[in-house]
Amino acid sequence: MFQTSRMRAAALCALIGLLAPRVSASFQEGGDAPKEAEKAVDEKKKEEKEEWFALTNGDVFTGTGSLLRGMTVLARNGVITKIASEVDIPEGAKLLDAKGMRVYPGLVATSSSGLFGATSAELEDSVDPFSSRMVLGLASGITSSGMGSVAAKLKRGEIKGVVMRDKYLTTLAYSTNNPSSKRNLSEKFAATAKYLREFREYELKKASNKELKEPPKKGVDSALLSVLKGESLARFNADSREDLLGIARLAQQYGFRPVIDGCGEGWTVADELGRAGAFAVLTPRDRDDKSEALVRPGGSSIENAAILHSRGVQVAIIPSTKGVDLGGIAGRDIIHLPIEAGFAVRGGLPEAAAIAAITIVPARILGIDHRVGTIEVGKDCDLLVIDGDLMHYQSFVQYAVVDGKQVYDKEAELWFAHIRPRTTPSMAPETRVDPGEEVDPNAAPKTEEPKDGEKPAEGTPPEDKPADGETPPKEPPSDPPKEGGTPEPVGGGGQRAG
Amino acid sequence: MVSRACWVVIGALALCACRSSASSKALDNAVDTRATKGALAALAEGETGVVIRAEKLFTMDAQDRVLSPGMLLVRNGKIEAVGVRFDVPAGFELIDYGPAWLTPGLVDLHTHVHAGGFGDINDMVLPINAEFRVSPTVVPGNPQLQRAVAGGVTTLFGIPGSGTSISGAGVLYKPKLHDTYENGVLADPGGIKVAQDSNPQRGAGDLGSSRAGLSWILEDANDKARGALAQGRRDPALENLMKVHARELPILIHTAGSDGVGNTTRMWRGKYPVRSVLSHGCFDAWKVSPFVAEMGMPANNGPRTIEYSSSREGRIIGISAHNEKIGVPHLSINTDSPVVPQEELFLQAAMSARYGADGYLMLRAMTINPAIAFGIDARVGSLEPGKDADLAVRTGNPLDPRAAVEVVWIDGRIEYDRARDGQMF
Amino acid sequence: MKTLNTLLLAAIPALASAAPAPDLFAIKVGKAETVSHGTIEHAVILIEDGKIVTIGQDLPIERGIRVLDLESWTVMPGLVNPYSRLGMDSRGGDEFNPQVSAFDDLYPSSDEYDRVLEAGYTTLGLYPAGRAVPGRACAVRPGPDTAEGMLLTRDAYLKIYFRSDARAKKMLRDAFAKVDDYVEKEKKAREKFDKDNAGKKTEEKKPDEKKPDEKAGTQEGGEKKDEKKDDKSKKVYVPPEPDEKVKPFLDIVNGKLNALVSIGQAADFLHLMDALGERKLSFDLRVPITREIDMYEVKKQIGERKCRILMEPEISMTPGTMRMRNLAQEFSAEGAKIVFLPRGDTIGAHKNALRNVGEIVAQGLSREVALRALTLEGAELMGIGARLGSLEKNKDANLVFLNGDPFEPGTKIMAVMLEGKVVFGEVQQ
Repeated sequence: MFQTSRMRAAALCALIGLLAPRVSASFQEGGDAPKEAEKAVDEKKKEEKEEWFALTNGDVFTGTGSLLRGMTVLARNGVITKIASEVDIPEGAKLLDAKGMRVYPGLVATSSSGLFGATSAELEDSVDPFSSRMVLGLASGITSSGMGSVAAKLKRGEIKGVVMRDKYLTTLAYSTNNPSSKRNLSEKFAATAKYLREFREYELKKASNKELKEPPKKGVDSALLSVLKGESLARFNADSREDLLGIARLAQQYGFRPVIDGCGEGWTVADELGRAGAFAVLTPRDRDDKSEALVRPGGSSIENAAILHSRGVQVAIIPSTKGVDLGGIAGRDIIHLPIEAGFAVRGGLPEAAAIAAITIVPARILGIDHRVGTIEVGKDCDLLVIDGDLMHYQSFVQYAVVDGKQVYDKEAELWFAHIRPRTTPSMAPETRVDPGEEVDPNAAPKTEEPKDGEKPAEGTPPEDKPADGETPPKEPPSDPPKEGGTPEPVGGGGQRAG
Repeated sequence: MVSRACWVVIGALALCACRSSASSKALDNAVDTRATKGALAALAEGETGVVIRAEKLFTMDAQDRVLSPGMLLVRNGKIEAVGVRFDVPAGFELIDYGPAWLTPGLVDLHTHVHAGGFGDINDMVLPINAEFRVSPTVVPGNPQLQRAVAGGVTTLFGIPGSGTSISGAGVLYKPKLHDTYENGVLADPGGIKVAQDSNPQRGAGDLGSSRAGLSWILEDANDKARGALAQGRRDPALENLMKVHARELPILIHTAGSDGVGNTTRMWRGKYPVRSVLSHGCFDAWKVSPFVAEMGMPANNGPRTIEYSSSREGRIIGISAHNEKIGVPHLSINTDSPVVPQEELFLQAAMSARYGADGYLMLRAMTINPAIAFGIDARVGSLEPGKDADLAVRTGNPLDPRAAVEVVWIDGRIEYDRARDGQMF
Repeated sequence: MKTLNTLLLAAIPALASAAPAPDLFAIKVGKAETVSHGTIEHAVILIEDGKIVTIGQDLPIERGIRVLDLESWTVMPGLVNPYSRLGMDSRGGDEFNPQVSAFDDLYPSSDEYDRVLEAGYTTLGLYPAGRAVPGRACAVRPGPDTAEGMLLTRDAYLKIYFRSDARAKKMLRDAFAKVDDYVEKEKKAREKFDKDNAGKKTEEKKPDEKKPDEKAGTQEGGEKKDEKKDDKSKKVYVPPEPDEKVKPFLDIVNGKLNALVSIGQAADFLHLMDALGERKLSFDLRVPITREIDMYEVKKQIGERKCRILMEPEISMTPGTMRMRNLAQEFSAEGAKIVFLPRGDTIGAHKNALRNVGEIVAQGLSREVALRALTLEGAELMGIGARLGSLEKNKDANLVFLNGDPFEPGTKIMAVMLEGKVVFGEVQQ
């Protein structure tokens, strides 16, 4: 969080810096003043154009430790402004009724392949926002993903504002199989740390000593410098115990937090990794048998995520296949990300940490946690409306909202609409009924005035019509119910024939 | 704050408490003791036995009874009694697993992990190798089998690959980790493996590079076997095939595509009335499901559980969901391990359920249904008196990846215990 | 209208007596699809010197004028394919060459030009080879033996090949940035000229006027700021010459040259808009129709801009399904204008063009839009819509004669007339 506030301060300074020359210019060039005024009016017009979005009646899992029932999430121009049970929704706001369903933050994939429909490195200029892969990503709940060196958002149908951050992760090579890489890296870190120390001394002393020269930057790796300054994260690819220990020690020595992809044997050195403040990006189902010659514990373990997490390592989860795989074998590609997280729970990871592993932790790793990863005021309005528990194998994303716009509706796409279709009408327009103006569903229709002594004819009361958007969802006939899902026969025993 | 997991379990218990009170009304204090008459006998000298109890017990019997709580008594490796509540006879230890879910051990009819890898799967010289056996290639207790047990899988049909029309005889066995391989064998040969999709065309010579040729090869061999059987002749080269036609051995056919599956069903249900199971049945085979259902051919689906390209509607088709809707009998699922790791058999069921199949049916699809389809339901597939004591204890819904396997029993002995052996999966 | 025409017809013999008889004749057809004014039954078309003088229903014809009686036939304007490489065989690169003209690549002797006339195509737009910005297309009439004889216009449109990537977007951004630079430079030159010559009489030299003695000097690339002192009092303002690679884009910005951008998917359109930024430009689109193309995702934006879309007459599918989509009809409904190209750039495809478009009409596209898409729309794309493309007064007499409805599968082309001359078939009495 120290890093985030630093970045905020830097951003603020940059903003002020940007504004300053503008202001001065309008005073200097008299001829341009009217133009500037025009510009200002245009800007204001743009600002005033507000787009509101409100999600109502949702059970919201914020990711900050609370499950809030029956909430409205209000967003203005794609940013969440309010989360409360009673919210004044401005006129003209786009609405989404999440009644009976759960709301989660949009999932963040630490890395993926093909979700942006583009192969080039310059995502901003090559993204295909109509790609079917992007639709499938949204259908599985993924709203942001790392790709190559950028962190980007699955903005369906739009190309502006796709890239959220670039070059926040610096990949470093460190492997026991390549001793020179280890030595190389240590030397570079040492040189960079030395430069930083000298630079800080210089900063302190230059006010009093004008003669002092800036320390030479020659030989200082700029990538490592940014890591040590906390402006980016160092990322390693390591599975073996030796490599992990080495990285942990390097990190502790030079004071940075490493991101480790793979982290296969992490569970054997979890304490060290925890002390180093490491992030682990792992696949719970990775199988790697340790050599039978080794006596010490090793190889992969389904409990990897749980053990690392219990020692303070921040765990992010990715599946074994980073792209979309429609070849037929379901369950191990990027569109089954929540299933992979479920396997970490199998190994003992608490459910809240498993959800964090596909939301806020990847967001931190990609440097976009100030925008996504949880449902909080001030963050982007990226929401998932799901017909059950996020990690339940039968839950489907019903709606996905990105930057305050609904970009996916399961029933409106061909992919999954036929599977356990929704019965409630979506996007029901909000209706207001003033007190005293409700229609009494049991009121008998007017009949003839009963003759004296006769009982009035009893009209058949009109069928109980549920209010808009309140049709109770039909019980799926024989599916295991979600809450602790029991695949049990409905009603008494002895129904189903063998 | 109550953790999420607890929340879910409490919810589950609350739910099933309501439900089971209705379903177990007739079963209160009832003990199903079909094998023994009257009260349960005490444990005698030289016998082994245990009584197991858990909050939820899925019998997978013909009435689909789920007992909550449930108890079962094991004597000498066989289940003797299953019920809601009964007195523990003298000499029996009671193991109470508390809020756990008990299911029968899982059954997978299409597996290749007996050899510990892809080696030794196939000989692809002769198109018909009905006499080839898998048993010489078995590596007992190999890591894949260890994880299989940790995944709750207790009965496997280990088979050769699909490079030839009749690949060989497979072995039905239980992957025991603390006993000899021989003591785990249910039947050897346990069945014959036939391949009728494109794979056999790989190893074909002059004859058999087209489906017409492959079909002829099979029919020729089968007609010869039937001829020998009818004449009472003994022919060593046709021994296994004759057993098939005598309905002593089942056949598992690797087949896919609408042409492959159509042909398979026609041949092994229409032309030859033998015990047969159609395995894989993926790609556009869903188009011929009505024919498969009409002919009464059981389908064993996997490793592919979904189909997209041939759906022609831009949608993902769940293969088992489709078969269920059409009415294909005795649906079962497989891993085709190691294509899908053996321990992920349950995930195949979960994915099938995700893409539209009934969740409870998918639990049947990895327990009693494959046993019935293959004719081994007298021994495995459900928790009923008289059957083998093969069962798995889990922390939750067996289809849910989040539920861990705690203990696995095979033939009344603990073969995997998470607390003792470490969590292997 | 009818009386006026009769008067006109009456006037002509008077002229005829004064000079040698112009190539003047009249055609009577059962039906004329004018494209500009709907269908005319029993139409009479008067043609002189290769141009349509008048057209109307049942117009009386003066005696003495040769009449071609083709009552059993239908006539429509000659077909226009504005996007072809027929008769051309060079390869292109991946360079930025807006100054190149396809005209310089022309090979008039190619027999494809004679054969394409048989298919009813009387006007072709030939574009240069290559990706990125290969240059300008030229409009030609097939038939004549010389390039000059074929040429209708050298600057039909500028072709731009665009796909979603940083290089293509940068290329476009830079091209238009250079135009901005030139406009700035020109403005400064003008201001300086005005300042230097305050109070004196001045004259602005239009950049298109090329005085013979200056031709040599201004042909080179590079900007020269010429402040020519014409003799005596008048000072002539000569705007700086834009670089030859900048000029085509300058012409686009000034609306003098059309831009045709080839794109492959909906995302390309969004990226194109992003590269063009806030500029108010009009351009047209070449969209090769593939089976599962997703261009419908941006049909509203395309329709709002009233772009022309050059496309094959093909039915596509909603991706992943067998659901048919009539994209021509969808785009047209949103306000875009359709130009139909043959399904391939081969003589065979040109011969099937009418039938293929007929299939799209059968699937729901308006007949009027379809007829226009084969004729006038392509002509307007190339900036020669005032000259040909419909059966109207003063337009070239490019006619296609058919023995039935142009979109009926069995209909045959019986004859083709190019600027008043029969180039295929027989129209004898």
